[in-house]
Amino acid sequence: MTDEEVLSYVKASAVALGLRLDEAQQQRVAVHLARTAGLAAQLAALPLRVEDEPAEIYSPLPFPTSFAVREQL
Amino acid sequence: MKPATLNGIAVVRAIATGALSAVEALQVAIDRIEATDARVNAFTGRSFARARAEAAAVDAKRARGETLPPLAGLPYAVKNLYDIAGEVTLAGSTINRSNAPAEEDAVLVQRLQAAGAVLVGSLNMDEYAYGFTTENTHYGACHNPHDLARITGGSSGGSGAAVAAGQVPLALGSDTNGSIRVPASLCGVWGLKPTFGRLSRRGSYPFVHSLDHLGPLADSVEMLALAYDAMQGPDALDPGCHALRVQAVSPSLHAGVQGLRIGVLGGYFSDHATPAARAAVATAAAALGARDAVEWPDAALARAAAFIVGASEGGTLHLHDLRTRLAEFEPLSVDRFIAGALQPGAWYVQAQRFRRIYRDKVNALFKDWDLLLAPATPVSAPKIGTEWLDINGTQMPCRPTVGLLTQPISFAGCPVAVAPMWPEGTGGMPIGVQIVAAPWREDLAFRAAQMLGAAGVAHTKSALCHAGLDPASMPHTPGSAAMDPGSSPG
Repeated sequence: MTDEEVLSYVKASAVALGLRLDEAQQQRVAVHLARTAGLAAQLAALPLRVEDEPAEIYSPLPFPTSFAVREQL
Repeated sequence: MKPATLNGIAVVRAIATGALSAVEALQVAIDRIEATDARVNAFTGRSFARARAEAAAVDAKRARGETLPPLAGLPYAVKNLYDIAGEVTLAGSTINRSNAPAEEDAVLVQRLQAAGAVLVGSLNMDEYAYGFTTENTHYGACHNPHDLARITGGSSGGSGAAVAAGQVPLALGSDTNGSIRVPASLCGVWGLKPTFGRLSRRGSYPFVHSLDHLGPLADSVEMLALAYDAMQGPDALDPGCHALRVQAVSPSLHAGVQGLRIGVLGGYFSDHATPAARAAVATAAAALGARDAVEWPDAALARAAAFIVGASEGGTLHLHDLRTRLAEFEPLSVDRFIAGALQPGAWYVQAQRFRRIYRDKVNALFKDWDLLLAPATPVSAPKIGTEWLDINGTQMPCRPTVGLLTQPISFAGCPVAVAPMWPEGTGGMPIGVQIVAAPWREDLAFRAAQMLGAAGVAHTKSALCHAGLDPASMPHTPGSAAMDPGSSPG
């Protein structure tokens, strides 16, 4: 993203999230986000397979050690 | 002659034998805090009334002939993101002042109380733990006891400073990306970031749920181990606590490192370290017989992913207040919180998907190695207000760069002990060495730390002596007398 594109993104996404930022703050946030975009680009270049799941997977309940699931609830 | 500071292990032993009362030990800590904290600014809250009651309870227990618990009478303090019953948990902010007081202590505070420790207060930190410097605008910068013009590191800066200043022998902090290890390094104290999921986080104010760890900083390896063991245990009510039982490290602390495969992290960890930081690692490696250079997998990518996950979760956690109380945030971090909240979801998901692959690569590394060494910080403590650091000829922004060497390791969740080292070329300031082990093998990291302490290459040093505040205080050396500074081996 160019600096202008990052700034446009900051303005639009701030509106989407209900954040009221003045112009100076938009600029400062854009500097930070541009830096993060560079980090994200490194990760985006990493080839991931469809089966590469996120590290944290929701578990509805620890797997029961017996059939007595009711005791875990 | 009344001593100015306490040696943690010696205090516990002296109270256990009756040579010292808990009330006497507490008074030494209170006197030290009152004599030094106007300049160090480690404490944001003082719970002396509670501490006196806890110390008196220890002495009463002893008077009744009861067996004392392992930390009986030990004064300690906690980063101000730990709940303390009856007090508002600030987490370094002013926004939280409008919250209700905590109804009960954080789990780790409860466990230390059960172990007999005496809570004297809460400690300065970066707002909501988002920072590596503890230059808190609301409560003032925390000052490094070894040079008051320099930072303590952060975000647990008050915890590092309180131990380094001899105010308390033990303090609790939190570590999301390096917030225990960085202040331990810059303040020259021992620190532990346990395995992710080892210690309960219940009752602490979160920063990044996917990355937050809690842990101790202390004046000796033995103190660190004793406190860590006292805080262990499963917690079914904390979804982030994965430990199923206690695995005490104190019994094997003196087992040595013979037979352990110890390597030195090169590549990223060497490239981003100054000569002094590399010298600290070389000294530790020599003492431990480590010769081989080891490449940590995907360190730069892990640092990027840790940054993205942290910023996204941290920013989102505070989104409501960012909408409604923007002007009350810490000016040094508010823009980063906003930028984090605005990050596209795709960046976050990619980082979490990478984390799983990364974890497998890191765990595979430990099939060949038991322990790995790396600097905890690229530099010794910069001056307060420093904006840019020169790392081997490259100008880098100071505040995020201080944590450059800790982030990849915590992102994997590995346990790390930090040994305080004192390399040349730092003007007498410390730089810590990270001793990294495979997940759940804190015991190995502790054994190596103990070896470094026993060899005399890693140790704490007295601070604030030059100010005439502490002419009698000596280094916090294991085994030295609790209240007889003249007997310390120095």
